Amino acid sequence: MAAHLTSPWHDRPVPFARLDAPAIARALSQIAERPEDLADAFFERREDIELAPDSTEGPGVRTLCEEGFAVRLLRGSETFLASRDGIDGRSFAEAVRQVARALPSANYPEPALPLGPWEDAAAPELGEFPGLVLRAIRARHVGFPLRLTVRRHRREVAVVGVRLAAAPEREVFYSCAAELPWGRHGELLTELSAASADGVAAACAALFRARHAGPAELASGVAVLGPGATAVLLHEAVAHALEADTLAATGRPEAALGLQLGAACLDVLDDPAAAPAAVARTTDDEGSPVCRRWLLRGGVVEQPLADALWSRLSPACVPGAGRRGSRHLPPGPRSSHLELLPGGAPEEDLFAEAEGGLYLEVASRGALDPASGEFTLRFPYARRLRGGEPAEVLGPCALRGRVADLLSRAAAVGAEAHPAGAGWCAKGGQKLPVWATAPALRLEGVAIA
Amino acid sequence: MSASVEPPAAPSPVLEAVLRTLARRGLPTAEVYRKRGRSRRVEQAEAAATSAFVQERAWAVRAGSESGSFFAAGTGEPRPEGPWPEPGGRPLALPEPEIPEPAPPSTPADLDAPLVGEGEGLRLLASLGRELDSALPGARLLRAALEDGWSEGELASSRGVRARTRHRVAALHVEARGGGKASPAVALYLAAREARRFDPLSIARRLAVRLEIAAAPLAEPFEAPEVVLAPPVAARLLLGLAPLWIGSQAASHGERFRDGDGRLASPAVSIADDGRLPGGVFESGVDGEGVPCREVVLLQEGIFRQPLLSWRDAGRAAGETSGCSRRPSWRDLPTPGPTHLYLKPDPRLAASALVGAVRRGAYALDVEGGMAVDWEAGRFALPVCGFRLEGGRATSPLRGVWLTGEIASLLRGIQAVARDLTFHPLDGMIGAPTVLATGVELRRGA
Repeated sequence: MAAHLTSPWHDRPVPFARLDAPAIARALSQIAERPEDLADAFFERREDIELAPDSTEGPGVRTLCEEGFAVRLLRGSETFLASRDGIDGRSFAEAVRQVARALPSANYPEPALPLGPWEDAAAPELGEFPGLVLRAIRARHVGFPLRLTVRRHRREVAVVGVRLAAAPEREVFYSCAAELPWGRHGELLTELSAASADGVAAACAALFRARHAGPAELASGVAVLGPGATAVLLHEAVAHALEADTLAATGRPEAALGLQLGAACLDVLDDPAAAPAAVARTTDDEGSPVCRRWLLRGGVVEQPLADALWSRLSPACVPGAGRRGSRHLPPGPRSSHLELLPGGAPEEDLFAEAEGGLYLEVASRGALDPASGEFTLRFPYARRLRGGEPAEVLGPCALRGRVADLLSRAAAVGAEAHPAGAGWCAKGGQKLPVWATAPALRLEGVAIA
Repeated sequence: MSASVEPPAAPSPVLEAVLRTLARRGLPTAEVYRKRGRSRRVEQAEAAATSAFVQERAWAVRAGSESGSFFAAGTGEPRPEGPWPEPGGRPLALPEPEIPEPAPPSTPADLDAPLVGEGEGLRLLASLGRELDSALPGARLLRAALEDGWSEGELASSRGVRARTRHRVAALHVEARGGGKASPAVALYLAAREARRFDPLSIARRLAVRLEIAAAPLAEPFEAPEVVLAPPVAARLLLGLAPLWIGSQAASHGERFRDGDGRLASPAVSIADDGRLPGGVFESGVDGEGVPCREVVLLQEGIFRQPLLSWRDAGRAAGETSGCSRRPSWRDLPTPGPTHLYLKPDPRLAASALVGAVRRGAYALDVEGGMAVDWEAGRFALPVCGFRLEGGRATSPLRGVWLTGEIASLLRGIQAVARDLTFHPLDGMIGAPTVLATGVELRRGA
């Protein structure tokens, strides 16, 4: 059995290594007329390769190879953007002209934008993964209809500003979507391996075992979230809630600083550099250096997520969390890799003090209404906690509440943190992968239905 | 996106070269699609504004042999030499060419109208904000995003399909909040052929009414023997019940809801899908696979005629197929679905006449969430908001209620439809006029 199927993409040169950054910077400097103007160019190349299930009517292999750029001028609270598919000097000069606020005295220069070649659109490692998952399912002595879609995602970006050009960055990861007659399981993975196949198989087997289970309900009791579910909780209830643009929907973002948002046991950070190596970043999608950002320290809001725009509108905010789902959309403040610092409670202690409660291992999705602060986290199945361990399987359920109320109910944090792909986030139509490292979490006094 | 079809033109040499190269590589079944487009987007939020100009230039290829197939898409121009992925999975099926129905005599003028300018777009949003404040003092826009786009596509396949399309579409997304500190927010999403068709005054009034309703206390349950369904509500019901009129299983799916005469709904109900609908946002002579579009009547005066079928459904269900494969982006595989699915209006009836005729009931103006359908139990539930009606007049706001009941009762209880057909960007453009319904209930919970 192959222990490690990950492609060798990480070692290859990025395609933007030979961009003429000084010429790009010179062109940008012509539109940044005012001292406070920020002008930059964002270059992007992405490749998605999908292996569809055998039962699919359409093509079995799907590839998407795209590249392009965007020129941006940020002036005060206004963003001007021109974006293009394809990368060439003439299009670049034209985009600069479209973003410029004043007509130039001469044409903008056309910089040299040589790119590395496209590699063959092949991902042989994808072909082996479904077999690994099926074997891991059989090892659990179960069998059921399953449609498994596996994708490899590769994204390379480079940002050039008037004064600085950040080093190009690359993210390579995988996504897996399993469809069963009783539900769906999706997961982001940084490698395809026997271990990751086993994780997907475990989630599918759990869905199968919960197919006829009775409803999971908890009037007001104890729930233990597994690391995967905790990751989704952090993403929805902490990261989204502390994005500067979300905070601005109800007031000034800096007003949140110092607010007791959660229980004292919650220390939550966003640290893109500490993400798994295949997706770790040293700069964000605006070329700003990322930082180890304390979102909550002891449950108190310390530093919201901000990009260049929001760091200018709210000077208390620090840039470095600007992300963009596509060159065609402006950046926005988003998390990349969330961490909940481990507490002192071993897993058995979390369970032992939750007799009769629910163990919620994974969350299928979550949502936050920024206007009301109402929050929903959905779980595909649950397990009743009896005698200090997860017992009978129960059906789908949801945890609802207001962010501050829910986070105040965190009572204990597990001692062992696990890397977990928190999943896809699609806020504002910008689909982005988000990652997390989290331990289990015990919530007290919560209602689940 | 919307379109008019151009007469079949000489195929692009690039597309032909790709087809030839793929055939030489042992992939005799192939289709090449090329698209380019431009769009202007302006967005105004409370603290920040954005203006973006986007140019897209991309392609998509499907190719296969008896042993498998692939889909590849990318930016720029397709290169005949690839690189192309190794085919896998199943063989590729493509439609045969059909002689298109006559193209419109002339290209609609709005296809060639310039995109909305940056200043023009921002002024439209500012005007919307002013009108909202005027209609409901203190109310404000939290966010408004306007997008106006144009594109053209070209398609060639090894089967001999050759097609060119042009498209034009604009979208407006608005979020607004009432004047009070704890006022709720509401959102609207609209689509039109071009941005200049959005009327700030009427949109502001619609937002103001929604905000007033959203600020009202939750409604107590009451009997509503007659319910007037505004177009957004009727359109959502039409889409929620789509399995009764779309796809090869529709006939069997709807069998249990039909009476002995084959009647599925009241005589007031006629439903059609028309990819060539004049003036429609998705108006097109051909669909995303180059198959000619046409009007297909699905229900005629309550009698089920045939489901909406794509060429893939030929032989699987009774009825004629039509061009209904949609291609939202060059990144997407074409998939069948409604283009302009709509409940036909009655030109003799004004919406106000339906409202005025209600002695005791409700006026469901808009939806507050997704529709739930329990096909086994034959029931539906849709969260709505609106007004209570007494003697043809709105007496109090209504929110937090579910329009619910049996599917059969809903369809047979439709008493009349008005002439105010409007389309809504849902799954395709879904259209409905105001509808007077009986046999449904309004409840606090689903």
